Amino acid sequence: MAGLTEDLVLGVDDKIEGFQNKNNNNSNSNNNNQKEVIDKEGLGVRGEENSNTNNNQGGERDMAPPASSSIHRSGSRPQLDLSKAAIQGNSEERDPTILLPNQSDDISHLALDIGGSLIKLVYFSRHEDQSSDDKRKRTVKERLGISNGNRRSYPILGGRLHFVKFETSKLNECLEFISSKQLHRGRIDSHHWNSEAPANENAVIKATGGGAYKFADLFKERLGVSIDKEDEMDCLVAGANFLLKAIRHEAFTHIEGHKEFVQIDHNDLFPYLLVNIGSGVSMIKVDGDGKFQRVSGTNVGGGTYWGLGRLLTKCNSFDELLELSQRGDNRTIDMLVGDIYGGMDYSKIGLSASTIASSFGKAISDKKELKDYRPEDISLSLLRMISYNIGQISYLNALRFGLKRIFFGGFFIRGHAYTMDTISFAIHFWSQGEAQAMFLRHEGFLGALGAFMSYEKHGLDDLMVHQLVERFPMGAPYTGGKIHGPPLGDLNEKISWMEKFVLKGTEITAPVPMAPPGTTGLGGFEVPSSKGGTLRSDASALNVGVLHLVPTLEVFPLLANQKMYEPNTIDLADHSELEYWFTVLSEHLPDLVDKAVASEGGTDDAKRRGDAFARAFSAHLARLMEEPAAYGKLGLANLLELREECLREFQFLDAYRSIKLRENEASLAVLPDLLLELDRMDEEARLLTLIEGVLAANIFDWGSRACVDLYHKGTIIEIYRMSRNKMQRPWRVDDFDLFKERMLGSKGKKPRPHKRALLFVDNSGADIVLGMLPLARELLRRGTEVVLVANSLPALNDVTAMELPDIVAEAAKHCDILRRAAEAGGLLVDAMTNTLDGSKENSSSVPLMVVENGCGSPCIDLRQVSSELAAAAKDADLIILEGMGRALHTNFNARFKCEALKLAMVKNQRLAEKLIKGKIYDCVCRYEPAS
Amino acid sequence: MDLLAAVSNQQNSQPQSQISHLALDIGGSLIKLVYFSRINDSCRDNDELRSHNESLGVSNSDTSQPILEGRLHFAKFETSKINDCLEFIRSKKLRLGGFHDCTSPSSDKIFIKATGGGAYKFADLFKEKLGISLDKEDEMDCLVTGANFLLKAVPQEAFTYLDGQKEFVQIDHNDLYPYLLVNIGSGVSMIKVDGDGKFERVSGTNVGGGTFWGLGRLLTKCKNFDELLELSQLGNNRVVDMLVGDIYGGTDYAKIGLSATTIASSFGKAISDNKELEDYKPEDISRSLLRMISNNIGQISYLNALRFGLKRIFFAGFFIRGHAYTLDTISVAVHFWSKGEAKAMFLRHEGFLGALGAFMSYEKQSLHGLMVHKILPRFPISVSSAGDKIYCSLNSDSNENEGIECTVYGM
Repeated sequence: MAGLTEDLVLGVDDKIEGFQNKNNNNSNSNNNNQKEVIDKEGLGVRGEENSNTNNNQGGERDMAPPASSSIHRSGSRPQLDLSKAAIQGNSEERDPTILLPNQSDDISHLALDIGGSLIKLVYFSRHEDQSSDDKRKRTVKERLGISNGNRRSYPILGGRLHFVKFETSKLNECLEFISSKQLHRGRIDSHHWNSEAPANENAVIKATGGGAYKFADLFKERLGVSIDKEDEMDCLVAGANFLLKAIRHEAFTHIEGHKEFVQIDHNDLFPYLLVNIGSGVSMIKVDGDGKFQRVSGTNVGGGTYWGLGRLLTKCNSFDELLELSQRGDNRTIDMLVGDIYGGMDYSKIGLSASTIASSFGKAISDKKELKDYRPEDISLSLLRMISYNIGQISYLNALRFGLKRIFFGGFFIRGHAYTMDTISFAIHFWSQGEAQAMFLRHEGFLGALGAFMSYEKHGLDDLMVHQLVERFPMGAPYTGGKIHGPPLGDLNEKISWMEKFVLKGTEITAPVPMAPPGTTGLGGFEVPSSKGGTLRSDASALNVGVLHLVPTLEVFPLLANQKMYEPNTIDLADHSELEYWFTVLSEHLPDLVDKAVASEGGTDDAKRRGDAFARAFSAHLARLMEEPAAYGKLGLANLLELREECLREFQFLDAYRSIKLRENEASLAVLPDLLLELDRMDEEARLLTLIEGVLAANIFDWGSRACVDLYHKGTIIEIYRMSRNKMQRPWRVDDFDLFKERMLGSKGKKPRPHKRALLFVDNSGADIVLGMLPLARELLRRGTEVVLVANSLPALNDVTAMELPDIVAEAAKHCDILRRAAEAGGLLVDAMTNTLDGSKENSSSVPLMVVENGCGSPCIDLRQVSSELAAAAKDADLIILEGMGRALHTNFNARFKCEALKLAMVKNQRLAEKLIKGKIYDCVCRYEPAS
Repeated sequence: MDLLAAVSNQQNSQPQSQISHLALDIGGSLIKLVYFSRINDSCRDNDELRSHNESLGVSNSDTSQPILEGRLHFAKFETSKINDCLEFIRSKKLRLGGFHDCTSPSSDKIFIKATGGGAYKFADLFKEKLGISLDKEDEMDCLVTGANFLLKAVPQEAFTYLDGQKEFVQIDHNDLYPYLLVNIGSGVSMIKVDGDGKFERVSGTNVGGGTFWGLGRLLTKCKNFDELLELSQLGNNRVVDMLVGDIYGGTDYAKIGLSATTIASSFGKAISDNKELEDYKPEDISRSLLRMISNNIGQISYLNALRFGLKRIFFAGFFIRGHAYTLDTISVAVHFWSKGEAKAMFLRHEGFLGALGAFMSYEKQSLHGLMVHKILPRFPISVSSAGDKIYCSLNSDSNENEGIECTVYGM
């Protein structure tokens, strides 16, 4: 095993500590600068790593001291890389961060699980939530009545949970790792969170596993920390319960190579059997939090596999042994039923000829010695023997206590497809389908997580599913499923590594990958399709991401059925679907890279980063093609989000910035004419024109290849007008009449206007300016409060919440309705230095507000939105979702407690066929009454 | 092979005996034979038989069948050396009286009962080499029949083994069922037995005798199973196994009842980088392997017994071989997991259940009225001359050679 097999990039995050520190020293000036930048230059600032950080959200953030760093925009989904640019070259050795007196906002906490073979680390790096001075936010808070008070007895911290492992025999590497990151200096005690946290002489870290006893002295001696020993079973159970409750796609079944995530109902979780396969195996009946009993176990476990395997094959690592098994054929070593019965089944008792009658039973032959057997065959035979045995004993224990669910954890499994299949088969076979084996993505980290949770105030107890976001940055360098060398520390290393492999002509396949093994049949042990590398080892590293804890995320309160809600309209489990989008994204990649590099001034550095991004993203795609469930359940939204994440990882903060600016400007220039045109119409014609306008303007979408081609053929306004003229009703999905009736009434009956409308906006340029703003204006005119909901972070040319106030301000210059509403909503307080006239009449207008949605993707998962949005939703009785990403790719099937209007132009032929049985450029206007 | 010699010698010393019935259990590793030889002059036995009958109140007149007296013999061969077995059968000049198929006119066809996978696999070979057709009996049927027969008919067949002490168990025939029969051959079958012919194979494991011997051969270069077993007695598994104490720095994990010497992970210490296979003593490896497999079988057996509420578990099959350490480990495993609730019991004729069962299946043919032969269930079949051997030979496999003298009605 490579000495340090880190589960995900930590280097990147960890540098932040050093950076944080530096930043802290001049935080005052920094803050001032930042304000200036925003006030005077608005959107178009360079060095947006600062401006972005301001994009925090409201909520319960005021506990944080305002003077500290505002670099981390941990408000909505905190992103790895926003602050990274400044980090580069800032070596952590030079900055012993936590030691500084004023350093308090970036504390790491560490817990260990020291087992017989592996040491597992879970550590937490905190990024202080900030209450920024953003006026928009303050106003939004006031308007929405978001309480500053803290409802919790102690706060949940925003930050990241990292997962790392070492071999126990290489304890020194682990100690060095901890020491270099100063992890042992961190304090979890909340008293220190917001005050000075000087290095503690008597630092204590929580640890579990046998090694917590065995190596306690060593930790004291080397790191000067005391190990606080936590009971192993306690920790396993606490870890498992946490994972099963807090992580959405944690548990999955794995049957005949097919992985399927299981939705766990938290109210129906207990009891279950937890089988932890480490060196040995523990089986624990879990009845609730802290309520459990170790009911059984077996001494034939991972240590047996690796120990016997080492003796028999001379493999140098567990992973190597596992890898070997994929090319094995156990028939040469195992005695099968068919061997005894002359090739026949023993069908009377349900044993097929290929059932293993006796593991290693053929090795009794006099004619062959150890060296005459292939190590591959030995490894496979061993793997089957042990997996099957564990499965059987687990099942018998589940049966004994009437437990239907069995969860398997522990590092033996390593996401290895064949191991999981074998265990699953054993459970299925013996239970005759009654019981189900389930596996955990964080399989190896149960104990360490549990130890982490044993800190008195870890804040994880209160954490809910919707407050966790998992990210999959490129971790240690992988090729062909193997880990090479240490994990990558910073961006430079990452880029260099990518380049190195390109030079060598090595294809970077994203880590880990598995074709389905052809197991089973009656009696279970059909020979796997053991030809060649069809069963590659899942190095498991990329299956576990960094967990971002974002306490301010909430479930969108207007979802009609939170439990049944599934954001993705298109399930990429369908392989042809995946292939299609894979192709789309791959083809779009060069164009995206060009844009991204240009957005950074086209420098050599930007080009290198662009190349690295392209390779990294391609590798992700390749990996997902091989194993779609590698990162959890995969929907199109996840795929699109992954791309944005990957861009940010390589520090492309806003690839479309200049395009967005240009289009905003061009659109704003023609807005007054459009408004005049609209104002000349009667109410009914206006409403239709407005909806047409939204649909027409939605054509400006850089995420759509078809539209990108269009752009080269005309100016924005030309395209917009052409597009609008083509809006022939009926549209493919056309509920306009219903909507009109709701808005204008029928037979002279005037319906009550909506109280508050949430407008989920999509693209910059014409889309927002000529489409959504006029619609917002109409609603305002009718006395409906309007909340524009925009992305927290850039994604393609989508407009962000940061950019909206300036767009609105510009538009308001020519429109009183917008101006008064924007002022009422606090959008113009400081952006409009040269306002036209006094502000007395403001009070008469309903407000126009802007909130961020908490995400940075073209799609939106309404299970995880900003607390701002959640608060804004409270009084809303109309939701308008606009654009493909938010209304079609996601949420097309979502139902809401209030009325909803879904507007989009379908700019993709396949999606048009699939979703609405239409064709490209067809329009969707779907109106749904409250459900 | 030794066994062959022994059996042959035994036979040679009784030149008068005739083999009349023979049954086979051809497993993956071993072929087990049971055959019956008549003893022509058996006055002594007859006397005793008579007196025994009288004491039991059994009148000879109860049966109209002739009484045949003789001896049941047990022999085994490695399956890989099937030719030795064929030779042995040939040398015995089986007078397989009455086994001609009466229903077919061209009845020079000779049938012998056989079970185990090899009864299928080697059927052609028997036909070709010996002109014998194998009449295949179901393996589980035979195991159960054999076990029921032994448990009911042979006194002091079953025994427990705890702390190095063997103790024979008196089986109350009326309270025999249900029990769990665990037959450890190359693989392991676990059968819930509810009565004569009433049973269900409820479980099994592929980690059995074949695994011990196969892995053992690869790891130690031992020449045979018995040598490997011998070695294990000299070994110390702590060198190879990872114990709870190894993980916990020498302390127990008392909270969940694991002592420092509990094996946490079999072969878990062999992951060390510093040692290769050659650096470990074969004795230690053998010991570790034996413990791993015995313990595992004990555990799975217990769990299955628990599942069906079976208090008694009988272990049989050739893996055990009366080997003290094996007996001990299995017993300890059952005791440990059941917290003393369940008991492991062993059978002296552990390896021959299947063959015996196949032998007993001749009985069924009595239904055809041709070959009525019957072992009186109430009548103990073992008699004095075999007594010494039977009662004292448990530590070696010499009991496998022993015959059981018996009286059979109707043969």
